[in-house]
Amino acid sequence: MIRLAASETLIPAPNIEYYELSPILIVFGVGVLAVLVEAFLPRAHRLHAQLALCLTGLVAAFVVVCTLTDEAQENARAVPQKVAAEGAVAIDGMTLFLQGTILLLGVVAVLLLAERRLGGEFAASAATVPGSAAEKETTRLGWVQTEIYPLLMFSIGGMLIFPAANDLLLMFVALEVLSLPLYLLCGLARRRRLLSQEAALKYFLLGAFSSAFFLYGIALLYGYAGSVRLSDINAAVSGSEDNDALLLIGMALLAVGLLFKVGAVPFHAWTPDVYQGAPTPVTAFMAAATKVAAFGALLRVFYVGLGGAKWDWHPMFWGVAMVTMLFGSLVALVQTDVKRMLAYSSIAHAGFILVGLVATNAEGLSATMFYLLAYGFSTIAAFAIISLVRDGSGEATHLSQWAGLGRRSPVVAGMFALLLLAFAGIPLTSGFTAKFAVFSASASAGGTPLIVVGVLSSTVAAFFYIRVIVLMFFSAPVTDGPRVAVPSLTTALAVWIGVAVTVFLGVLPQPVLDLADNASFLIS
Amino acid sequence: MDGNVYIPIAVLAALGFGFAAFSVVTGALTGPKRYNRAKLDAYECGIEPTPQPVGGGRVSVKYYTIAMLFIIFDIEIIFLYPWAVTFDSFGISILVEMALFIVTVFVPLIYVWRRGGLDWDH
Amino acid sequence: MSSSVSGDLILADADGTHLAQFGHDVWWIMLIKVVVIFAFLMVFTLFTIIFERRAVSWMQQRVGPNRVGPQGSLQSLADGVKLMLKEDIVPKAADKAIFVIAPVISATGAFLAFAVIPIGPEVSIFGERTVLQVTDTPVAVLFILASSSAAIYGIVLAGWSSGSTYPLLGGLRSTAQMISYELAMSLSFVAVFLYAGSMSTSEIVAAQEDLWYGIALLPSFVVYLIAMVGETNRPPFDLPEAEGELVGGFHTEYSSIKFALFFLGEYIALITVSALAVTLFLGGWMAPWPLGGPIWPGANENWFPVLWFLGKLLTLVFVFIWLRGTLPRMRYDQFMALGWKILIPVSIGWILLVATIQALRNEGYEVRNIVLVAAGVLAALLLVTWVWEVVRAKPPEDEPVAEAVEFDPFAGGYPVPPMPGQVPVLVSTPVSTPVSFSTSGQHRVEMVERGDTDA
Repeated sequence: MIRLAASETLIPAPNIEYYELSPILIVFGVGVLAVLVEAFLPRAHRLHAQLALCLTGLVAAFVVVCTLTDEAQENARAVPQKVAAEGAVAIDGMTLFLQGTILLLGVVAVLLLAERRLGGEFAASAATVPGSAAEKETTRLGWVQTEIYPLLMFSIGGMLIFPAANDLLLMFVALEVLSLPLYLLCGLARRRRLLSQEAALKYFLLGAFSSAFFLYGIALLYGYAGSVRLSDINAAVSGSEDNDALLLIGMALLAVGLLFKVGAVPFHAWTPDVYQGAPTPVTAFMAAATKVAAFGALLRVFYVGLGGAKWDWHPMFWGVAMVTMLFGSLVALVQTDVKRMLAYSSIAHAGFILVGLVATNAEGLSATMFYLLAYGFSTIAAFAIISLVRDGSGEATHLSQWAGLGRRSPVVAGMFALLLLAFAGIPLTSGFTAKFAVFSASASAGGTPLIVVGVLSSTVAAFFYIRVIVLMFFSAPVTDGPRVAVPSLTTALAVWIGVAVTVFLGVLPQPVLDLADNASFLIS
Repeated sequence: MDGNVYIPIAVLAALGFGFAAFSVVTGALTGPKRYNRAKLDAYECGIEPTPQPVGGGRVSVKYYTIAMLFIIFDIEIIFLYPWAVTFDSFGISILVEMALFIVTVFVPLIYVWRRGGLDWDH
Repeated sequence: MSSSVSGDLILADADGTHLAQFGHDVWWIMLIKVVVIFAFLMVFTLFTIIFERRAVSWMQQRVGPNRVGPQGSLQSLADGVKLMLKEDIVPKAADKAIFVIAPVISATGAFLAFAVIPIGPEVSIFGERTVLQVTDTPVAVLFILASSSAAIYGIVLAGWSSGSTYPLLGGLRSTAQMISYELAMSLSFVAVFLYAGSMSTSEIVAAQEDLWYGIALLPSFVVYLIAMVGETNRPPFDLPEAEGELVGGFHTEYSSIKFALFFLGEYIALITVSALAVTLFLGGWMAPWPLGGPIWPGANENWFPVLWFLGKLLTLVFVFIWLRGTLPRMRYDQFMALGWKILIPVSIGWILLVATIQALRNEGYEVRNIVLVAAGVLAALLLVTWVWEVVRAKPPEDEPVAEAVEFDPFAGGYPVPPMPGQVPVLVSTPVSTPVSFSTSGQHRVEMVERGDTDA
């Protein structure tokens, strides 16, 4: 028998920091368990089991993230810093801050997904053909496609890795892991299913395309630096003076892939259609959490890996930021559908966040992170409110239907108005603090033209936000207009959380700003 | 060991391909040719052949399920082979890692199984 | 493959039969070996066909082919020549180019795998020392799997390009079947690689000097034996060619020599999987137990091993024929269920068990303790499966529960077999009931059947 003496040639096992990675592992583990719940529990018990499982998992992961942050601060270091899993995952200030944000947004998203009183936002059985007898039958039986919970968990898991990945290949895997469940989730709307499926297909095709760009960028950067590790790429970039075509093209392709996920112009084309077609809770989750994760990855790639080539990518990001802000604000002006309007507003916000990114300093990093947190909670609550405004055929998303809503349901309309004011950046809302932070960071880095464009487009944006508010409160209610449905506790909770965070970050932003400041640290 | 362990395989492939191609060509030449419209129709036990849908038509979704499961498990097996070959060079950690991997890959199979994806009779 | 890649791990054994022996043959030795393997496969195919026909007819108590040549031994050759002279039909609806290429792919792919099968140890041919094996690589078994799956392309393309219903269904079925059983087959190899520490066929044979893996890893061997029958579309798993359902399956539209090429490909595949079983589980060319050891030390040297190899190969080929002579064809759903619900889970469980034992042995535990623990684990597993069965006994609530439907086998005008859960009710039949001069059910059934055949 050919057998090696086991002790002689033992290859050392790779060192995995399970504790530092446990937020990610918990979320994925819960996802796997959720699949088993789908497999074994009878239909009647699945929903509750899934809810309990997912919420427990997300909260547990969040607690671990908090402890990790705390422990590092107790060790007399301002920020935790550790490169885990043989250097593939960076556990630093930004990672923990963004992971915490994503987990909290995930909790809110689960609460939204759990809405049952309004008849649910998701198809009773995704496999049935729209309009078929089977669809009617499954709807009549009250089936719920509870697979959305494991899908959501896998997506959140991917998002947790995405900003933490210190290695381009891992980042690509994370990109796919976060995207694929989202493509599916987009196609699961209960009403207007064809529109929803079309949105899913569009998102999938364009997403696959942008993934290919991203992968090609990785290949070129590997050709340039001989490694996919960000620190190695940084070393290669800093070591050489001349501009290598491989580096420049690779950088551009990488940026395409990431800017697509962010929804920045000119890679924004999918945003309105997908936001409109997808089930509203999924839209809310996508608009909030995907942005956080994708900006995290963008920050890491361009600050850590390509920081040495700053003067090569800086002008491009300036341009993208300006165009994105202006385009998003201007096109949102002419929208007649609330979901589409918010989609374009999210494009504009991507531009504002990019302003923080191009500051390329610690303030910029902290401002970007704060913006992501503030915008995430506002947008998730805004979409949640949209899902409440209904008429006989489901959600009433046409703007004309919202006329006079404020007179019928002042509380809900008031909350929506508050969120719109936050989007517009009016003081005493989180949006103001966030925009202020971003612009001041940019000012300190000499980005005055950016700020001018930013303030201009904010003004334009404020116009259409306020137009909606005027429409809701000062125009006559339409006859047979939509009602604000009374949601189940979970959705109400989600809305309240979002609104509370929006107000809190507007009135008392300092603790969270400090947190972001402390966390604005990247391992290179 | 240099590349020439593959040369005999290439020679054998050429031999096999040559034989097959030769047979097909000569088979076409040696046989009789008697034209008959019915003979060139699709064979369906003598009845008029079913019209074939353009582009091949639709295939039952079960085949796709099997195909996807096959890909998942084939990739799992690809990981199992080098794992098995170098098993003795690692400590017990490699066993634990692979057990975790196998369990994870097994979860979708269990899911498909419970949901009737492996049942062909309904 | 550079030596740095193959690494010390693979070349570290001291047995002498390592991979470094390959790739150094003089060109004419290499050519002789290749041509001999090619000729061997052709002749052995002809032999297997006649062997099968004679053996099956012997099992069925009939005579079988006995006209051409002594005892009918040239029958398959005559059939081949006859097929060559038949009209070569390409149906109108067929995709011509692919239709012609498909049998070529099928036959070419079949030849390849045998290149890495070890047939004997080092011998001397015209003064040159060489190993009785065309070639070997560090990934030889992987190569066999790859080349045998290339043959699947032939079948899929044949089914698809024929432009006809039966071949399409046959092609689909056979693809689903082959990929399902390929998984079970590939999984059964893992334990062998784990024990041998190599994927090279010659090293696996060398590693079986003490104990054949067919005995040491019996569950793997059993899984492989089942999977290899499924993989080669042989009875009782010959569903792609189920003549009662699909006429000829994927090759319905093929005639003349193209049909013969599919036939050839299938028989070579049969020989190859048998040879692979011999290599991986039955000690390859090593002499069977009492012979190899001190009784006759020369049994494993020079040309004798070819004898042992051929003997083992013939035995396995006979097993194939035996199965065909004995077992009825399985239903497709049963067949897929066997693959996915039994073979794959069992293989994976077995791999984990073997790996655990191996890991414990590497850590220095006593073999006896390991076996005890393994038995405990097995018992626990059995318990778990029992509990599982009890839980499963209740039908899952998802599926709309199929109530015991009254099943009328003659509803469509011709008899169909009942599906699982259906109970045939023979009395109610739409066929015009003959004058009821008989009241017993027995007679009525007879009448119905007669009525059906008349119609």
